[in-house]
Amino acid sequence: MLIQTPAEGLYDELFDENNRVRPQCRMLEHWLVNSNEELIAEKRREANVLFQRLGITFNVYGEDQGADRLIPFDLIPRVISASDWHTLQTGLRQRIQALNRFLYDIYHDYDIVKAGVISAEQVFANPQYQPGMQNLKLPRNLYCHIAGIDLIRHSDGNFYVLEDNLRCPSGVSYMLENRRMMMRLFPELFAHSAVAPVEHYPNLLGETLRAASLKPDPTVVVLTPGRFNSAYFEHAFLARQMGIELVEGADLFVAQNKVYMKTTTGPQQVDVIYRRIDDDFLDPLAGNPDSMLGVAGLYAAYRTGNVVLTNAVGNGVADDKSIYPYVPDMIRFYLDEEPILKNVPTWQCRNPKDLQYVLEHLPELVVKEAQGAGGYGMLIGPKACKKELDLFRSLLKARPQDYIAQPTLSLSTCPTFVEEGVAPRHLDLRPFVLSGKKIQMVPGGLTRVALEKGSLVVNSSQGGGTKDTWVLEDDPC
Amino acid sequence: MLSSAASSLFWMARYLERAESQARLLDVSLTMALIDVPEDRIEQLSVPLLVSGTREIFFDYYTEITPQNLINFLLLDSRHPTSVFNIIQNARDNALHVRGNLSSDVWESINQAWLEMRELQHRGVTESNASSVFDWVRERSHLFRGAAYGTLLRNDAFHFLRLGTFIERAETTARVLDIRHVMAMKAEQEHATQVFFEWTAVLHSLAAFEAYQNTYGHNLDAMSVAELLILEPAVPRSLHVCLGEIASLLEQVESGEAQESRRLASSLYANIRFGNRDYIAERGLHIYLVDFLERIQHIAGQIQKDYMGWQG
Repeated sequence: MLIQTPAEGLYDELFDENNRVRPQCRMLEHWLVNSNEELIAEKRREANVLFQRLGITFNVYGEDQGADRLIPFDLIPRVISASDWHTLQTGLRQRIQALNRFLYDIYHDYDIVKAGVISAEQVFANPQYQPGMQNLKLPRNLYCHIAGIDLIRHSDGNFYVLEDNLRCPSGVSYMLENRRMMMRLFPELFAHSAVAPVEHYPNLLGETLRAASLKPDPTVVVLTPGRFNSAYFEHAFLARQMGIELVEGADLFVAQNKVYMKTTTGPQQVDVIYRRIDDDFLDPLAGNPDSMLGVAGLYAAYRTGNVVLTNAVGNGVADDKSIYPYVPDMIRFYLDEEPILKNVPTWQCRNPKDLQYVLEHLPELVVKEAQGAGGYGMLIGPKACKKELDLFRSLLKARPQDYIAQPTLSLSTCPTFVEEGVAPRHLDLRPFVLSGKKIQMVPGGLTRVALEKGSLVVNSSQGGGTKDTWVLEDDPC
Repeated sequence: MLSSAASSLFWMARYLERAESQARLLDVSLTMALIDVPEDRIEQLSVPLLVSGTREIFFDYYTEITPQNLINFLLLDSRHPTSVFNIIQNARDNALHVRGNLSSDVWESINQAWLEMRELQHRGVTESNASSVFDWVRERSHLFRGAAYGTLLRNDAFHFLRLGTFIERAETTARVLDIRHVMAMKAEQEHATQVFFEWTAVLHSLAAFEAYQNTYGHNLDAMSVAELLILEPAVPRSLHVCLGEIASLLEQVESGEAQESRRLASSLYANIRFGNRDYIAERGLHIYLVDFLERIQHIAGQIQKDYMGWQG
């Protein structure tokens, strides 16, 4: 098959700047060039049928017929060299460690505020800050047991952190199923390359969740909003892989500040809840009173220390886009180290000087809501029409504190199967970082790819697809 | 295990069993209608409606009992809960809820059945290809059973799933036997030759025709058919086998203080195990079966109360 070469000025994961194949991708390129189109088309159909049968589907919010859609899966893996992964891994460890320390600090001693690194207003007036978490002692002082960090590779070849997800990051089941699918469809590819395994992720997750409690053999459950949630497949998948119960709010109750599940033999106490429900919906008595998903009294049980929630309540303040610019400072403040992973330069529109710059340079910038997620409610300056730019100008002037702006990044590209053949498409990377007795992760993560030509939005809710992510065990000599 | 999961497994298995038996019933009725004397054809076709208790609902949507209407109504119609389409959808919904308790093989067998059912509903089914669709339903059911036996842990999840299967099966056997029995009695007075076909239909509907030939030879009579389907411990759909399984599964299920469903099941099982055809004949088959249905439904209700009662 013919592979379209990438556009100039962009970093491509397969070709270097002289359109030579990167050493770690030689095997892959050889395979691609020698594959015939019919076979690939056949394999793509097979993958679709298999994903349908597995039931790996998701729902899109605000779309009625969106029920049970497949996330497009691209057969061409994204390759990361061993040395790149080594840097990423070290950087991710460092970053998560600092974020955890930050969360502990803002709910206990406020050192970082006292030192003037971050203003009190930005921490305590943040809508995600939970005063109820103040002075609560959590086992091992851990807040983000499971984190998903979104990274992109810029045209300079460096990885930049785009976003930290410290609440309920999802997508890990796609990482695992994509690998399983690739091994099933192309076993010969794996026979010829040393791809680092990811299959042990559920083991590591189970270990992490058990370590979240100080009890010797805690009862752990996964709490899901239910069958109609877009990530239900993932909740069930992880519970099954770890051999623990998947519960809905109605399966749990609280008595004497202890949490029990309703079983066929009577009540059974629960020690750790891997919850995939947002803070506000956990407990109708503490959060949203209309929540049908949560458990009445859960928050009180948590405050008493009788149950551990993973992730902790109140993490949202640390992965907020308005706190994001301070993460490098956190690393310096808590760990006394220089950040290994770069942050994307960010203008905080709450600062008059930044706002002025943003308004003057709007057509070249990306503007995001500080609280937004999922690619909703953002402006991509270079792609926006005049009407959209005007709309955001007035939004920015009205509520500058709700927005941040960043330069339009050139996300790296990777060859992808599309209608016109094999062509470069933009992608990002979400590794999953687990914090228990130690910080662990499996090599790689979830690679999301924007399937439309030139598009920079990789979210599955906006038509993005996924790829298998290969971290090579060794760099080729 | 979670009470809500036990409930979903129980119902998932009931629905899948129901899909299979409904396909068998419909298949037999359509065939029998071809054999039957023309004036009895409608009566023959209405058997599956009687067994599933949907005769009234049928006339909400259709004016006439024809093979095609029956196929549409009992197989494909999504407007009422008793079509095979909705039964499989319900099974799949329950399976989705207990996805964490199922092996991938079992889940995929059910999910695939549902995907293909949707396809079928979209394409439609006619009298001429109905047989292959009935075969398909039976095959999906076999596949589910095979996957369940071959890949599920022998824990309570498995036990509740099997309880669902056998409760549903016992009810179906008793119902089919009862309704066909009444029809055979009527035929005896009107067309003696029809009696033979009635009893053949019972046996085919419950996949027991070959078992009968094996046990009794060619002499088809009412009491032998009843004996086979009620008392025979070697026939997979007999009440004896179903109750034996139910009683033994309830013994294996981990249990707190709840003992009532165990007691009820063991008692009904003992009745059947030590029962004989003379006793059934004396009481009258119809009365015997009506009593049995009441007791099996009581057991089903008690199982839900004992193990799944949290739901309210």
